[in-house]
Amino acid sequence: MTIMAKSKPTILNTLIPYVAAILIALAAVGVFIALMGFDVLKAYYTILFTSFRTPNGFIQTLLKFIPLVLQAYAFTVPLAAGKFNIGGEGQLIVGAIGAAAVGILLPDLPPLLLIPLVLLGGIVAGALWGFIPGWLLYKFNINEILTTVLLNFVSFALINYVATGPWRDPAAGHPTTIPIGRGGYLPLLVDNPPLHAGIIIALLVAVAVYFYTTRSTAGYELVATGANPRAAGVFGINVKYMFVLSIVIAGGIGGLSGAIEVSGVQHRLIEGLQHNFLVLGLIIGLIAKGNNMAVPFVAFFIAVLEVGASAMQRTLMIPVEMVFIVEALVLLFVLLSDVVRRK
Amino acid sequence: MADTPILVMKGIRKTFDKSVALDDVSFELNAREIHGLLGGNGAGKTTLMNILYGLYKKDSGEISLHEKKINISSPRDALHKHIGMVHQHFLQITSFTVLENIVLGTEIHNKYSMDLSVEATKIQALQNRFNLAVDLNISIGDLPMGTRQKVEILKALYRGAEILILDEPTTNLTPQEVDDLFKSLRVMVDQDLSIVFITHKLREVLSVCDRISVLRNGRNVVTLKRDEANEEAFVRGMVGDEMDIQNSVIFSRGKSGQIGAEHIRAEVCLHLDQVQLASQGSVPRLKDISFKLRHGEILGIAGVAGNGQRDLAEVILGITLPTGGKVELDAKDILAMPTNQRLESGIAYIPEDRLLDGFLPKASVAHNLILGFHRKAPYSSGGFINWNTVHRTAAELIKTYNIKTSGPSDVGGNLSGGNIQRVLIARAFSKPANLLVAHNPTRGLDIPSMDFVYSRILEEKKKGLATLLISEDLDELLLLCDRIAVLYRGELVGTLDRSKFEKYEIGRMMSGYRAEE
Ligand SMILES: Nc1ncnc2c1ncn2[C@@H]1O[C@H](COP(=O)(O)OP(=O)(O)OP(=O)(O)O)[C@@H](O)[C@H]1O
Ligand SMILES: [Mg+2]
Repeated sequence: MTIMAKSKPTILNTLIPYVAAILIALAAVGVFIALMGFDVLKAYYTILFTSFRTPNGFIQTLLKFIPLVLQAYAFTVPLAAGKFNIGGEGQLIVGAIGAAAVGILLPDLPPLLLIPLVLLGGIVAGALWGFIPGWLLYKFNINEILTTVLLNFVSFALINYVATGPWRDPAAGHPTTIPIGRGGYLPLLVDNPPLHAGIIIALLVAVAVYFYTTRSTAGYELVATGANPRAAGVFGINVKYMFVLSIVIAGGIGGLSGAIEVSGVQHRLIEGLQHNFLVLGLIIGLIAKGNNMAVPFVAFFIAVLEVGASAMQRTLMIPVEMVFIVEALVLLFVLLSDVVRRK
Repeated sequence: MADTPILVMKGIRKTFDKSVALDDVSFELNAREIHGLLGGNGAGKTTLMNILYGLYKKDSGEISLHEKKINISSPRDALHKHIGMVHQHFLQITSFTVLENIVLGTEIHNKYSMDLSVEATKIQALQNRFNLAVDLNISIGDLPMGTRQKVEILKALYRGAEILILDEPTTNLTPQEVDDLFKSLRVMVDQDLSIVFITHKLREVLSVCDRISVLRNGRNVVTLKRDEANEEAFVRGMVGDEMDIQNSVIFSRGKSGQIGAEHIRAEVCLHLDQVQLASQGSVPRLKDISFKLRHGEILGIAGVAGNGQRDLAEVILGITLPTGGKVELDAKDILAMPTNQRLESGIAYIPEDRLLDGFLPKASVAHNLILGFHRKAPYSSGGFINWNTVHRTAAELIKTYNIKTSGPSDVGGNLSGGNIQRVLIARAFSKPANLLVAHNPTRGLDIPSMDFVYSRILEEKKKGLATLLISEDLDELLLLCDRIAVLYRGELVGTLDRSKFEKYEIGRMMSGYRAEE
């Protein structure tokens, strides 16, 4: 993790292993694509450039970017304190439930009130969901990896319960609630193809996380705790409190990503709205090596790959999983380059 | 002694990013010799040996072993070539037993049952051969540093080391443990091993080494045979003309009577009254500790490591809460005060275990320099850190305390052991304090830095700083303290005034005899 210290190598130097990792990963997957009898160059072209060829592609990418960057932060913020939050998925789901509940219970409020309330509903619900593992850690020293993962499963049951309960939309064939009040819809920045204002929120979060972790006193304590909890404790930092705080903040960010899915994309609660955002968020956080500055860029890159992958499947019939392999390989090679460079 | 070198390193160069750690360094090790490696903090001793041990890749230069050119790619490879190393800051798994720690990562005979009796027999043979007795079935965490050090040596021997590199093995040892270690080292070389021994203590070098090489700023200075050598030559070699030997605390204060007693004021700074710290076992960790420490006074706490020194420091800092008694700072009860407030109300702390308790290896040097002060002006205001101020102050501290680093944003973990210690010292002195609790503050420092620390402590003493100097280095205590109290099994067995200082008497008290008062 290099958030804490800018070491001497230039930006260019830091980028080299990344670029190399991407090239090697693409080459490796290219071999498979070729063996499967597809046109490799066309596949590369589709993966890398779908996002930039049409306005639609670009907007698709931004829409993918929003949940991914937030999920990545839900992972990297506690990571700065040395804690592993694998519960971004559950926090997203519970945040979505909180947001939907507010939007359904107060359907007639004007947008000026309802939008912030819906988002806040998501943040608070997610933060509470993050507080549970935080508290278990604080009180009983129970490993947060375990609890956050397990709480994901609890959240699956919870969303199923809510989406098939009294708010169920009888017309839908899939567990879904009735829509939230119109006033809770995030406004559109671009109408066609639609781009909702969640992108602004995501960017604000990116800026806030950056300032929080690198500039604020609390962020300093977070980083110190992650760097050496014992020494931080000896010098007066309440490290257990920092652990809890970091997971609660992560929960809030995860919850916010759920709220944005509800108020920007689905306008209702739908089972399965979490997609595979958690895993991608973890991959982003790890490729960025926990560096919050790098997270948005990596998230954007992964969003490009994801959008390219769907296009590739549509037009060339190459399975999207190929791109998942690219992502995993990039991660692997970035981590490997660290081992090599340590010498 | 055969004078043909078995190991030759020639023209070794190593750079980290742009800074040159080693430049055209050569090193020769003869068969059956103990070869001392001396040099100031950051001179490149550890780096040179890490290259030999395959941890770092050299930029250029060559290494030959038994007159054959070799290439060492990893520690595993080094061990394969019978080169073993015990690190300055070694890592052990504290919940494992000695035996488990030693065999960890090696081929095990009964892999599936994890029955380690075959290994245990082998290790016992080594123990007998080299005079390194350790109970194999105790968990490592319960052992004193000296024994853990032995375990590390056994680990290297068990892996077949014939060339053994010891990086500052004596910094954590008591004088008794040092003697034992030296005896073992002699046995080892008598049985055909060769040893590289890194240290800052000249006396040790002169008493145990056959030959000595000195490094300065990543370059060779000299290699001398023991009988050609003397202390002053080494100091000159290590520091060049940087240090004013005549005016140094170490070389001038010595036995002379003047101790600055006139700076001791009437006001009591720290008052401990009947402090108790019970433990789960039957022996209390601290028992009836009472003393008064005045402003402008230096009170030494002597004792063999592990007699409650750390607990005493942590009780004063509020890291551990005593189970009884009173702790007062400037006549104010501070028992209920959390650590951060104690630090803010003027207690400076240099913890004993610099890496574990005092340093953030993954954070920057600037981060490290403000730890504990980060909530207060000028480093912080309105919930935000003023990084400009922090970096400016950090740059000044780096300069004043001669910390060898590329700058405030350098990663802390890149620093050499002694330079990490300098960071801790700089931090402790960076803010005006009323009370300094310093636990082995000069551990791992080279002689000029040690001298600098002493002169800083004496300077602050003039301004009224009360210092509790907890040290296992008796010479250090005799040099600086106004009074010395001896801690034995969590109890103060006596206190001596400077006029009554007597090494032998203190030594007796350290093993539990009460002073006749
Ligand atoms: N991994 C690293 N990255 C960057 N710089 C390093 C690294 N390791 C060592 N250095 C630098 O190389 C120089 C030599 O360090 P080294 O650890 O060899 O010193 P040393 O002689 O062992 O000192 P000490 O007595 O303090 O242990 C130092 O300036 C140190 O900052
Ligand atoms: Mg060293």
